[in-house]
Amino acid sequence: MTSSKHHAEDKFVALASIAAELNSVMAVAWGVSLAAKNAKVISAQSGDKGLGFQPITEFIDEIAQQAMQGVQDINNEALHLTKIAVAEQRSVDAFRRFDSVRNKNDKARYIGSMSIAMQRVEQHMLESTQAMKKSLRNLNALLESMDECMLSARAIASVSRIVTSNAQEYRDKLALVADDLDKATVFIKEKLSDSYQHLKNVDMRSSR
Amino acid sequence: MKATKLFDQGHQWIMFGRDPDKPQGIIDTNQYMVLAGNRALLMDPGGIEVFAPMLGAILHHAKVEQITDLFASHQDPDIISSLGLWDQALPHAKLHAPWIWEGFLRHFGMNNIQYAPIPDEGSRVSIGPVDLEFIPAHYLHASGNFHVYDPKAKILMSGDVGAALESTESPLFVDGFEEHIPKMKMFHQRWMPSNRAKNDWIKRVRQLDIEYMAPQHGRIFKGDDVKRFLDWFEQLDVGVAIQAEK
Repeated sequence: MTSSKHHAEDKFVALASIAAELNSVMAVAWGVSLAAKNAKVISAQSGDKGLGFQPITEFIDEIAQQAMQGVQDINNEALHLTKIAVAEQRSVDAFRRFDSVRNKNDKARYIGSMSIAMQRVEQHMLESTQAMKKSLRNLNALLESMDECMLSARAIASVSRIVTSNAQEYRDKLALVADDLDKATVFIKEKLSDSYQHLKNVDMRSSR
Repeated sequence: MKATKLFDQGHQWIMFGRDPDKPQGIIDTNQYMVLAGNRALLMDPGGIEVFAPMLGAILHHAKVEQITDLFASHQDPDIISSLGLWDQALPHAKLHAPWIWEGFLRHFGMNNIQYAPIPDEGSRVSIGPVDLEFIPAHYLHASGNFHVYDPKAKILMSGDVGAALESTESPLFVDGFEEHIPKMKMFHQRWMPSNRAKNDWIKRVRQLDIEYMAPQHGRIFKGDDVKRFLDWFEQLDVGVAIQAEK
């Protein structure tokens, strides 16, 4: 029973950690979005010289919005997965206690009446396990989608550096936005990598 | 867990407790069951840790599906923290408990069992042919609190009133009232918060014909010891922690 509780706590801690890792992503993505909006203003002020940069700022903002939505979706799925994990843990706990009743009271006159309750709890365990696996797959897909989003972000950061090199007097300001995007991408990718590791832990600890 | 029949004339009252395998560090509790035909009511079924031995002990007397009703005198963990497990064992059962505790008790996990709220003035329930009364015992010790009275068996399940904190080896019945007083005095003075509530309950209970007064901890009072307890409790000053602050 002790190892089961420890195992469950690890699972819940891992899920909470995913949410925590990605909450910091939300703040960074918000910062990038703000920087992209500033860049739009800068490129507008630069007139013809900033023309090449305007669509880039649109892309940066779009990427930041996608990252924020992605974090929201991942958090929602992590919360859903936590609820399923709680239900699964309750069923596992009940099954173990029912099993203990059955094993220790085999001579009880009405021990046979436990079988329906045990079957029902076993069915719940099975359903919860299947629901957990489905939710884990969803969570994995959302993290992958976020990863792809970051690949696009890095590509845009590289392109924006080339474009900014033609913007002369606004070059430094626009280069700063490109650098911000690059740094944010590196940060988010680190957080995604940590989240993958937590998700792996949840997956491993879900198999009984 | 030991099971003792208190009454067996048409229907049964069975007391469960004195579990020698009880984990160290948790308070010993008495659980009660009224078994009448194809139905059974479990009273203060206990905490999570006593769930398995309790259910195991019940299965010597009743089938799982016979347990149609649960009763919680109040919301404490030693009374009903096993609710989440009963909820999975008895999805069609009803839980009779003070109305004020519904939102609190659901924290123990109640997705299937139906909550049957007991109004402040008390109510009745029929378990097969047996009529039982939920007697108000508010503030003794919880702010919403009931006891169960069976007029036919003349048994009052008195929750924490009459409780004594004793070991699992202690006898089931009070066998010397004066010697028993030190075992229950501090509990009543500290856990019971209100002299007014106490006297209101005593007035109500004195009108009942009681052969056994069966608390949730400690020993059962039988015959004249019930009256002795009421007299002793009446003169006892309770809510002493407030006085200690002065």
